[in-house]
Amino acid sequence: MEASSEKLSNITRLSKISIRTFVSQVPLLGWLLGALIAVALEHFVGTPFARALGLPKALSLFGFLIILKKPFLIPSAVAYVLLIYILPIGIVARSSASIMNKLAGKLLDFPMLFSVIIHLGLLYAVVHWWSDMSLYRNDVARFMLIAVMVTLSLNIINGYMGEFSCSHPGFLALGAYSASVFTVLLFVDDRIFGLAWLPKAIGPLFFPIALIIGGLVAAVGALAVAIPSFRTRGDYLAIISLAFMFIVKSLIENLEAVGGPRGLSSQPNWASLPVVFMCAVLAVWIINNFVRSTFGKALNAVRDNEMAADAMTVNTRRTKMTAFMFGAFWAGVAGGLYAHVVRYVNPGDFDIKKLAEVLAMVYFGGLNSVYGAIVGACGISLLGEALRPLALYKWVIIPLLLILVMIYRPTGLIAFKEFDVKKLIQPKKVSP
Amino acid sequence: MKKGFVSVVIFSCITMFVAFYACGPSGPETIKIGVNAPLTGDIPKVGEGTKFAAEMWLEDINAAGGIQVGDKKYKVELVIEDNESKAESAVKANTKLITEDEVLAIIGPQSSKQAVPAGGKANELETPMISPWSTNPNTTKDRPFVFRGCFLDPFQGPVVANFVKDEFGFTKAAVLYDVASDYPKGLAENFKDAWEKIGTMAAYESFTTKDTDFSSQLTKIRDSGAEFIFTPQYYNEVALIVQQAHQLGWDKPIVGSDSWGSAETVKLCGKDCYGLFFSTHYAAAGATGATKEFIDRYKAKHGYVPDDVGALTWDAMRIVQTAIQNVGELSGDIKKDRKAVRDALAKIKKFEGITGNMDFTEEGDPVKCAVIVRISDTGEFEFYKSVCP
Repeated sequence: MEASSEKLSNITRLSKISIRTFVSQVPLLGWLLGALIAVALEHFVGTPFARALGLPKALSLFGFLIILKKPFLIPSAVAYVLLIYILPIGIVARSSASIMNKLAGKLLDFPMLFSVIIHLGLLYAVVHWWSDMSLYRNDVARFMLIAVMVTLSLNIINGYMGEFSCSHPGFLALGAYSASVFTVLLFVDDRIFGLAWLPKAIGPLFFPIALIIGGLVAAVGALAVAIPSFRTRGDYLAIISLAFMFIVKSLIENLEAVGGPRGLSSQPNWASLPVVFMCAVLAVWIINNFVRSTFGKALNAVRDNEMAADAMTVNTRRTKMTAFMFGAFWAGVAGGLYAHVVRYVNPGDFDIKKLAEVLAMVYFGGLNSVYGAIVGACGISLLGEALRPLALYKWVIIPLLLILVMIYRPTGLIAFKEFDVKKLIQPKKVSP
Repeated sequence: MKKGFVSVVIFSCITMFVAFYACGPSGPETIKIGVNAPLTGDIPKVGEGTKFAAEMWLEDINAAGGIQVGDKKYKVELVIEDNESKAESAVKANTKLITEDEVLAIIGPQSSKQAVPAGGKANELETPMISPWSTNPNTTKDRPFVFRGCFLDPFQGPVVANFVKDEFGFTKAAVLYDVASDYPKGLAENFKDAWEKIGTMAAYESFTTKDTDFSSQLTKIRDSGAEFIFTPQYYNEVALIVQQAHQLGWDKPIVGSDSWGSAETVKLCGKDCYGLFFSTHYAAAGATGATKEFIDRYKAKHGYVPDDVGALTWDAMRIVQTAIQNVGELSGDIKKDRKAVRDALAKIKKFEGITGNMDFTEEGDPVKCAVIVRISDTGEFEFYKSVCP
């Protein structure tokens, strides 16, 4: 008896080790290729395959939605996910590992940008094909990418600088409204602003400008929180930032020019998946460079000990101001994208519920980490979507999960980890 | 050996996929109707009313064996999605209903905050949608595929104004409304426009959502010489406003709008609300015919008299049912069928609903009568008179 249990534990240990070596030998390029083949497989044979398994159609969100509604379909759903996603990805990644390692090594001979672009292109192809199956996936992907941007920008202030800021919905609202006013005023025949000033055909070219305007307005708004932050910290700053959020909400509610509480609608449909993807990649790239620069280290210094940082010639005021404005800028851009995906904004959307959502994403994923922000945003938004059929119980499960994360990993899932692009894309060493 | 295993797996997978690829899609035997309701979030009671009314409708359909379209009977399946009373979630829920569940038509969302963006999605994807409760004009404007089940505020405002003028002969009005909320603000403005044609505005006071002390506004109104107050607020605020007004010595009428029509109004307000008037979609007490039947069934099943949301949802479900029956034949091609249902919806004439008879205008808004209700001395909503456009 004892011997057999020992044998069993040996087997599990061995399988654990073999999975670990299996995973560690495959470079990112290999995983992306596997994912690409899996989504291509789904694209071509997903629907008939699902029908043959007794499922109504190709599973979105990896089967969560259907097994929560119709539990008797669990075996088919598991088979589907296994045969369409897990097995192809595993097999392709494993069998191509040595070639991909060589290829990834070759790519590093060129400037790194080249290799990064190839990886991003593959990633986009995966997302594109996956979301091409249905518009629902497309929507989920777009909202998820926007959530990544918001979470990253909040992580600058709450994670890297260590202030508990509650003003993010306010920044989002400023960005959303400014970008919407710009596009609706210039390119749409609208009830509030009258006829369009410019032809709609050239509009998409101006969309980046709209987003930047949204970001800049949010950044200027951030001064209202940044300047008080020179003298207050901790709980008091949290209250100030909370007040800022309510000020923005009331301001928009009372601004008849942008629709007041009725909201602003008829934004043009320009925030398509490639646009949102590009913005999210830009945000990750720039924010990652920012937090790894001297400025980013200054943020950490201010967080850990403001007095010591000051003594070490860190200009704490400038640091705080930059962090707030930089974070708010990206929140504003995300807000502009959000407004053009939903194509309607209402001041009521940017309230304390939104705040709870973004804070949950930041603290779930992990403080002070770009990985964490991405994981948190994707995790919470996918979970929220996958548990949709549970209605009320969803709001029991997600908070419970958050509590568990806070107990076992108090700073979040992947906290204090540097996002090193070079490490990510380099070939993996093959153990002999 | 390992390599051999892998290649066997790959080979068998490929043959399986090729075999499945040959299977063609089969035609639909059931009709799916989507319901986009706020089951969680700010207004769960509204979501509950929607869900219960929709489920009651489904019971009826199942009892009849399905919906008869032409010479074929189709089974019906309801897909109820929660929109968390958030705009973003309502859009996702609508997209999911349309692209994943492939519903023929959508009922909901209820409040305008979700109905405006969700309606945009439904129109873009060419799926008929009826919002039973949304009063924002933008919900249906320039959207051929979006309809609504209730009358609009530009109609209700004048109805109340004219009712007060005819009933009491007052000339000086006061309005107290929530400036930060879409519905009260819109209705207050519509009422003001209508009233200024027939009388004068003595006071036009506002507050912000979640305020609970209205004494300063009410004192101003009392001292302004107004003869009545119009307050288009939700039930929790109505109770506070009426009670505080009475404490300040106000003994003239207070008039409300369809947002008063919740069972909670009288529960919270008590005797202070007895004898007051408001305009709404239907009157529960003293109802007759199909309306009474609906109320009795709902009450027997769920233990309370349905709010106007329940009644409007019931009507919306039946409008969709009528439209589907009028299509005559379903082709099985969901896109074609959706278009056919939309055309049938636009053509419906003199629909007899439990909230009154209705026709649809070009915009997808119904033309229907409003009901003036008096809160009786036992706290019931009594039919007082009906005002038609």
